[in-house]
Amino acid sequence: MDASDRRGRAAEEAAEWWVLLQGEVTRREREEYVDWLRESSVHVAEMLRVAQLHGALEKFQRWSEIPTAGGGTESTVVPLVPPTHTTSSPPLKHTPRDWRLAASVAAALLVVAGLTAWLLIGLRGQVIETQRGERRQMALADGSVVQVDPETRLKVDYEEHTRRVELERGRALFHVAKNSERPFLVRVRNTTVRAVGTAFAVEEADHTVVVTVAEGRVAVLNEPVTESQLPDTASPQKTAASAVKRVDEAPRSDKPPSSGSAATEIILTANQQVTVAGVGTAEPVREVDSARVLSWAEGRLIFENESVERAVSEFNRYNRIQLNVNDAALAQRPISGVFSASDPESFVAFIQSVAAVRVTRNATDDIRIEAAKVDQQQK
Amino acid sequence: MTAPDPKHRLTDWFRKWRLPLRKFLNAKGAVPASDLDDVAQEVFLRLMRYGRMELIEHPQAYLYKMASNVAAEWALRGRYLRSREPAWLGAATGAEEVEDQAGLLELQDQIEQALLTLTPQQREVLKLQFYAGLSRTEIAGRLNLSERSVKRALVKSYEKLRARLNTESFARISDGRE
Repeated sequence: MDASDRRGRAAEEAAEWWVLLQGEVTRREREEYVDWLRESSVHVAEMLRVAQLHGALEKFQRWSEIPTAGGGTESTVVPLVPPTHTTSSPPLKHTPRDWRLAASVAAALLVVAGLTAWLLIGLRGQVIETQRGERRQMALADGSVVQVDPETRLKVDYEEHTRRVELERGRALFHVAKNSERPFLVRVRNTTVRAVGTAFAVEEADHTVVVTVAEGRVAVLNEPVTESQLPDTASPQKTAASAVKRVDEAPRSDKPPSSGSAATEIILTANQQVTVAGVGTAEPVREVDSARVLSWAEGRLIFENESVERAVSEFNRYNRIQLNVNDAALAQRPISGVFSASDPESFVAFIQSVAAVRVTRNATDDIRIEAAKVDQQQK
Repeated sequence: MTAPDPKHRLTDWFRKWRLPLRKFLNAKGAVPASDLDDVAQEVFLRLMRYGRMELIEHPQAYLYKMASNVAAEWALRGRYLRSREPAWLGAATGAEEVEDQAGLLELQDQIEQALLTLTPQQREVLKLQFYAGLSRTEIAGRLNLSERSVKRALVKSYEKLRARLNTESFARISDGRE
């Protein structure tokens, strides 16, 4: 056996060990593995190579474009309806022991599937909707927690292999329970955010989608909007369906993803943010202080040189008591500060401390802020 | 020491070696393919110095920890330069590095081309693992295959990809060298 044969054999064995070691291994297997490693430095080298290859595949960004045996029936990102099964060539030769194993695996799968379906049946298609002034924090069936901002609507759809949420409007912060076998997918129009175990926020506003990651890593899959999708009339279902179809068509496109004609995937890590515009193009990834950007989830509003008008509209989203600013100059005035979202009074007090204003309250407790007459200024 | 709860054993086992692996892949002085054999040689020697019993508890953790240590030590000595790194490896290792766009595209192309040499079924298994994030049991169920067939497909895919990507990257290195 010459050197290259030996190398090839080692590569094969390394791949076998790698795959075996992904699962649970017995002490005996670990012993064999250590002995194999200590047999030759070529074995060590091949083990390091297979790890590097695995790392490269984990970071590969064009999985959605890779054609598979399933062809059109197998959706790539999000199967809208789980495929009954995608047939490929029948299993190869089996020893009787294999069949027993396969049968027990199948039986176990059936039990698990049945149980999961039973557990999740109540959650399928569950809609969470918040009104103005309403914030909610909910634990989902898998232990994930979602913090829902006011004026938000989302649909939770847990399936056997995926945890799916569709954000129709507003924003939400997801603390995803780790489960690498069941990806957590948040879809907003043509953008899908995929996470395994992480904390991230998704916001839909003015036809743009903003994704911010607080912890861990997520993949943002973004598909260009087709002309027929551009009018805002398409139902979310319809949009999602055509989006998935587009991904399936992607492999036939020769254009690079940056041309905007194919689905692109962006990997975001902690303290990164990306904005996807209504037409489906993503801006460059920004570094942000996620604690600050996501402070709304903790009920804090942080303004940094933002206009009074913008601050007021934020407060109004969180509260029953509505603020009104009846002065154009005051509305445009930049302010900075940290406030409790549920305490508009403290904001009013702040405004009073920095500007000459007159504050009046009407019967429904709404607060009107006007510029005071210059010489009547009162602290 | 009492035996850990079997339910947590697997996750524990994973956790123990996932971290060293990440460290090895993302190490600042990530190992270029050209020097991987040298690193492996050094790791091999260190493995021989450790007691067999000690290694058996967490062999993967030891392996990748040693490899990232050796790589880091050598990087300090300026033993190799990052610029020699082949592109496909760069993606595996330089997560925190800013990749130039052209290099990134080229690497994606290389992996894509390599993936296209696999059988459709092998591609499907890989895609379900890496893209959909399914476990092997789930992949088997989804594709109506035995778990053994799924494992087989994974092993074969790794073998093929390893051969293909390395041949190309070695060629690239020898072009750029001396």
